Amino acid sequence: MNLKQLRLGLWVLVGLVAAGLVVFLWQESKTEQPAFSQTSLGTIGGPFNLTASSGKPFSSAELNGKPAAVFFGFTHCPDVCPTTLARLTKLRRDLGKGNDALSIVFISVDPERDTPAEVDTYMKLYDTPVIGLTGTPAQIEQVKKQFGIFSRKVEQPGGGYSVDHTATVILLDRNGQFSSTIAMEEGNDVALAKLRRITA
Amino acid sequence: MKRMLFIPSLALLAACGQGGKANIEVSDAWARPTRGDAPGAVYVTIENKGGQDDRLVSVMTDHAAMAMVHQTEMSNGVARMRMAGEINVPAGNSIKMVPGGTHIMLEGLRTPLHTGDSFPLVLKFRESGEEKVSVRVAEAGEQ
Repeated sequence: MNLKQLRLGLWVLVGLVAAGLVVFLWQESKTEQPAFSQTSLGTIGGPFNLTASSGKPFSSAELNGKPAAVFFGFTHCPDVCPTTLARLTKLRRDLGKGNDALSIVFISVDPERDTPAEVDTYMKLYDTPVIGLTGTPAQIEQVKKQFGIFSRKVEQPGGGYSVDHTATVILLDRNGQFSSTIAMEEGNDVALAKLRRITA
Repeated sequence: MKRMLFIPSLALLAACGQGGKANIEVSDAWARPTRGDAPGAVYVTIENKGGQDDRLVSVMTDHAAMAMVHQTEMSNGVARMRMAGEINVPAGNSIKMVPGGTHIMLEGLRTPLHTGDSFPLVLKFRESGEEKVSVRVAEAGEQ
């Protein structure tokens, strides 16, 4: 084999690798995308029954007719939960459509400590309406499953426990259908655009 | 290239001019209100104006049974709260604690924190010793 043939051979090899890469990436994008949209659009949310902070039963049907921002947390959470609720109340204010345009919903992932009365005093820290919900451990597990929420109790060094939990806010349209999410790290302008979409 | 070296050496010279000691200033200490027996979180700004690195080793307050530096970590949308250990405050740097990150957790509050109240907090540094600061309890909706 002379040098010319070798060079040609190498170029053919480069071409084959490049073609392979294109096919591989195309396959990847094809397999990943439908899986994602399926879990997000098809299965997040759905009807649920919990207990309101008043102690009365709460059906998710009470949310219908109004878009909602749903956040899962616990009242003994000093940083992430008050930060997220403060952020949501500010975003609703920035939206400029009044408190009736969007329900802010807090669902406890710590039903052992979060009695309706506990949740009630927690919600009253805010000078704007926030719907606080809790329930039996079985009810909470069910709702967590419906919304794809992870949570786990973690023992604290000085006694007591904290709860690791999904801090992503789930946005529902006025029919209770999943619309999108707001992540902790997401900028307020993006979050506001998402809220505008469901409150339009 | 010469200039790139020149700037850090200038900074180093300036730092040496400070006497080579850490000089810690704690400011803008605030917390959100709490209720019941729930823990609170305090956010502070720590500035090291000196020429020596320093470390925040512990936090004390009469207002709670325990004060610990905690860190909220996010992964895959899940928030986890963990002990942060000692916080390094390099010479000439400042650290601003913001919600959703490093914070001082107060466990076993003597009384819940009410908006408008304030209480003293002592931060202990390895080099600079104790720094006292007054913590302002803000509105629940404060960002």
